[in-house]
Amino acid sequence: MITELGPIITILLDAFWAAVAALGFAVLFNAPRRALPAILLAGALGHATHTALVMLGASVEIAVLAGAVLIGLLGELLQRRMRIPRVVFTVPGVIPMVPGSLAFGAMEKLLRVLTAPPDVAAELLARASVDIIHTGFILMALAVGISLPILFRHQKPVV
Amino acid sequence: MGVNEFEGGDSFPQSENSQRSRREGETGQPAGRLAYVELREIIGLSLWAGQMLLQNGASSLRTEETTHRIGTGLGCDWMDVIITPDSIVVTATDGEDFRTKARRVVRLGANMGRITALSELGHAVAEGRADRGEVQARLHAIDAAPKEYNRWLVVFLVGLACAAFSRLLGGDWPVFGVTLVAASAAMFARQEIEKRHYNRYLMVATVAFIGGLLASSAQLVTDAANVNIAIAATALLLVPGVPLINSAQDFIRGYTGNGLRRGVSGLLISLTIALGLVLAIQFAQMLTP
Repeated sequence: MITELGPIITILLDAFWAAVAALGFAVLFNAPRRALPAILLAGALGHATHTALVMLGASVEIAVLAGAVLIGLLGELLQRRMRIPRVVFTVPGVIPMVPGSLAFGAMEKLLRVLTAPPDVAAELLARASVDIIHTGFILMALAVGISLPILFRHQKPVV
Repeated sequence: MGVNEFEGGDSFPQSENSQRSRREGETGQPAGRLAYVELREIIGLSLWAGQMLLQNGASSLRTEETTHRIGTGLGCDWMDVIITPDSIVVTATDGEDFRTKARRVVRLGANMGRITALSELGHAVAEGRADRGEVQARLHAIDAAPKEYNRWLVVFLVGLACAAFSRLLGGDWPVFGVTLVAASAAMFARQEIEKRHYNRYLMVATVAFIGGLLASSAQLVTDAANVNIAIAATALLLVPGVPLINSAQDFIRGYTGNGLRRGVSGLLISLTIALGLVLAIQFAQMLTP
């Protein structure tokens, strides 16, 4: 992230690129055209919230959880308004928050363990474990976050 | 299923009462409202909808609800929907009559246009806006509908999405350009492989390899940290978002078996991405002096 630009511009840029990423995945998953504006909004809002919280000093996991809850609420609202299943908004919306870099970092370190001398290997293994644990918790925060709103539905089940 | 099996929506729903009295008169037993053939048609249609929902990335709860809505909306008294990790079974009940039918659920994909259309069909039937003939026609249309977006547009926008991801990860502009090209090419390869219906894991490994190799060329224009960003951002186009999110939702709603199946396939896809990238990185190291 380009921090020398000041926090507001950083967050706006962040929202912009997150929206572009969400759009690509909406198209990849063949989302209906009329859902596209809302998907862009979900992607931008979710990721910008996450970035703002990280800048304020929150842990990445908490920040991702907050962004995902926001996307889940938006999906719940839009599902009722537009009669489009919430998954259409939530999945492309959270994709920008997928911890791809951490997962890749873990893999790349594990790969270097194969050829490193023993003391370096132990160090790499420890750092890879930390990456894996972060990846796992962030993925859980994503999944739990967007599912949280459905836990509070109290409508009569259809089946 | 034969097409003519589903024709005859004209007997729905006005003739229900006349049929009931006729059948009660014949047997002396309180029978259901539907003729046996009608029950077969309803079960065929709702099962087809349920199978399409599962194959296109709907959660288990949505599939169960929509299938149930179509079955009961078309005239059954009750419809039980059982979703197992690789099949869907429905039992339609009508008075004392019942029929059961099962279908295999093969290939799990992600097509949100189809999920939306099927979901809307479920609501239409439940609200009495669609009869059997209408449901059959719309299921055929949904099944045959081409993808909403031109394939070249998908290639470009997915490439751009991965490039945007490289910005979010803190990559510089050369990395943006490399990621755009690498991810677009990888997406093109993915479309070509999917068109030929190869094994999904073979597709994922091959596309990850191609994308990883092209993204590694970022080392010609930038430093090692940025190369890693290019590779990670390019691999994002394979992320199994739909199976993983559906897995979590299925677990939360108590569909533990289906949650496991989707979680395991998401995990396997992730490991396969890693495999493709490992091969690409090793290969790129061999190419550089």
